[in-house]
Amino acid sequence: MTTEQQNKNKTLIRERSAKRRSLYKSVDRTMQFIFRLCGLIAALMIILIVFFVAARGIQVFLPGYENPVSLGEFLTGMRWRSDQGVYGVLFIVINTIITAFFAGLIAFPLSVLSALMIVKIAPKRLSNALTTVVELLAAIPSVVYGVFASGAITDIVEKMAGWFNYTTFGGNSMLAVILLLAIMIYPTITSMAVVAIRAVPESHELGSLALGASRTQTNFKVVLSSAKSGIFAGLILGLGRAFGEATAVSMVAGNAFVGPTWNPFDLTRTLTTTMLSGLHETVGVDYDVRFSVGIVLMIIILITNLAINALRKKMESGD
Amino acid sequence: MNRIRIIKDRIAEGLTWLSSGISALVLIAIFVFIFKRGWSTLNWDLLKNNYNSENLMAGYDHIDWDEHGAFAAPDTLPENAFFSEKYGVAFVDSVSAAKESQMEVVFLDPESPLQDGKITTAGPRQGDKLGLEEGLYLKKISYINLEGDKKSAGLTATQGKTSEELVSVLDNDSQEVVDFYAQTEGGGLKGSIITTLLLIGLTLIIALPIGVFAAIYLHELAPKNKLTAWIRSSIELLSGVPSVIFGLMGMTMLFQVTRLMGITGQSTMLGALTLAVILLPVIIRQTEEALINVPDGYRMASLSMGATQFQTIYKIIIPNAMPGILSATLLSISRIIGESAALIFTMGTAIMDNPAWNTRGTSLAVHIWTVMSGEQPNFELASAISIVILIIVLILNVSVKYLTYRMTRDKDDQKKKNTKVKVKATTET
Repeated sequence: MTTEQQNKNKTLIRERSAKRRSLYKSVDRTMQFIFRLCGLIAALMIILIVFFVAARGIQVFLPGYENPVSLGEFLTGMRWRSDQGVYGVLFIVINTIITAFFAGLIAFPLSVLSALMIVKIAPKRLSNALTTVVELLAAIPSVVYGVFASGAITDIVEKMAGWFNYTTFGGNSMLAVILLLAIMIYPTITSMAVVAIRAVPESHELGSLALGASRTQTNFKVVLSSAKSGIFAGLILGLGRAFGEATAVSMVAGNAFVGPTWNPFDLTRTLTTTMLSGLHETVGVDYDVRFSVGIVLMIIILITNLAINALRKKMESGD
Repeated sequence: MNRIRIIKDRIAEGLTWLSSGISALVLIAIFVFIFKRGWSTLNWDLLKNNYNSENLMAGYDHIDWDEHGAFAAPDTLPENAFFSEKYGVAFVDSVSAAKESQMEVVFLDPESPLQDGKITTAGPRQGDKLGLEEGLYLKKISYINLEGDKKSAGLTATQGKTSEELVSVLDNDSQEVVDFYAQTEGGGLKGSIITTLLLIGLTLIIALPIGVFAAIYLHELAPKNKLTAWIRSSIELLSGVPSVIFGLMGMTMLFQVTRLMGITGQSTMLGALTLAVILLPVIIRQTEEALINVPDGYRMASLSMGATQFQTIYKIIIPNAMPGILSATLLSISRIIGESAALIFTMGTAIMDNPAWNTRGTSLAVHIWTVMSGEQPNFELASAISIVILIIVLILNVSVKYLTYRMTRDKDDQKKKNTKVKVKATTET
């Protein structure tokens, strides 16, 4: 083989490998672009959701709409009669907040105490069993909770109403909604609280014990206050779930026409049940106004998040 | 420690026991309730039957009734069955899953004239053979009575509403049977089960690539800057959005996408697209968790051998993160099976027997919603479907737990090995 040929072969090989390298590079670049695109799509979704729901929800208040709803009446109304074309959302907002608040009031202490039990008090096996209980409760779909609520919780509520000489509509009532929501948000808050309590540094505990505090005192005073931030994050998530829970609540709320509901044995109506009730057609005011209710729901969740965050900051700076 | 302190501590500790006890009790109560209510309704027929029963009508104009003599009841007949000696047929009264009383044909003699019916109603199938069969539910039967008048008996007629009455009317009052009206067994879940499977398939095809790729971008490629932080917090926000809102979003935004595919209304495809958005945060979080567990050494080794970044991701990182991606898939399936609110908006609540990707349909969860939100809530059926859903969801969650356990165990093992090697190295020097 002459040197000329050898050189020729060498350049050929070099060219080929250069070609292959540039191919790899272009594949690399394309795939990187696709990966980035997927990340951006995922991130853009939230903006698109807010934009599209808001656009359709605002539409019913605009003058160009077929039967426009007055924004003022919508926001201050205390009656919701879709059959008469009356849409007032204020009492629904109040109902939603009341039910979520009381559900939180019931579930929050139970959750925090159970989380403390799981992490600090229970022996290893019991702790594992309780963790499984919480995970199972979190895994049960909401529609199954709905079946349970409209079969079992309503019975209990009806009996309770009997003690006070009230009659309920088959147990469908605000109290049933509150109990149901309390059960549903319990696993959410508990699992967040468990994570928060696990993250408390051991030195805090040891310090407290060394100063002569009892084990229980340490758990309640030192561990819980150190884990405060995470526990409140759990509360936010829990309340968010309470506000947004739809199918299960719809099965026991009963959809009152007027409100707000103050008697726990009366029917109630929350934002989500309003969105789901009587869903037949997919056009017209009755349908489009559900999007307006959706906007209200998103705003309430946002405000709750901000409020609890502010509360948490205040408590933290107070220490 | 004084006594008051001890008592206070005991009370506080007792409260933690109490609250955990309550949660366990609630879980048990839910399971007991659902199983007690639904277990008797749940059987294979329920799972494989159509929801809408098929109507069958046929006449017996062509039959020579004098040819047939009396029939003898077989020994295998159930105790509550009533046998017509004249026609060789036996009925049993029962209650359907939809709580309606029904009359099942449990036995038909092979010689019975009733199996030689022909379709008499006008239409393309007129004249085809269609007879009474075992397993059908009789609604009405018309006959010529002893006086020669045409009469009818059965559930939808004025007489013969129970098997006993019907058999006595047929045996004692009739000369010949004119026609019958029967139905196949309905109230089944076949359509909803197919829709659910279809929904799982479509959703995963859409959501898994986007979710896994997004996780890879965030963990492997993304620079640590404001944009990445923004992407992360947006995805975090997405997981806090209630599913009703996703349903609304599906109806405005993704509806436009399915319209491009030529679908005009609610459809399984629309439900799948909506679910894909709901699942993105779940898949991204689980996959990232798995990517974190892939040791950095693998990446460096691959890159230092001259592999490109994509080759490293495709050949090294994804195979090693597979258990995490699998557990993301299982979690997603369990979410899809349980989801209802978003699907009520995007797929409708009409139960279909022959669902397709571009028609409406109900998943099992929405099937529960449909039977519960009617005038007469049907607890038994709802609980039976709930049992099916609960069992699937529990199996999926246990598998996820096992996968995560294995993933973390592998990592722990590696750590132990590494420390052992180090210890060895130090002792040798």
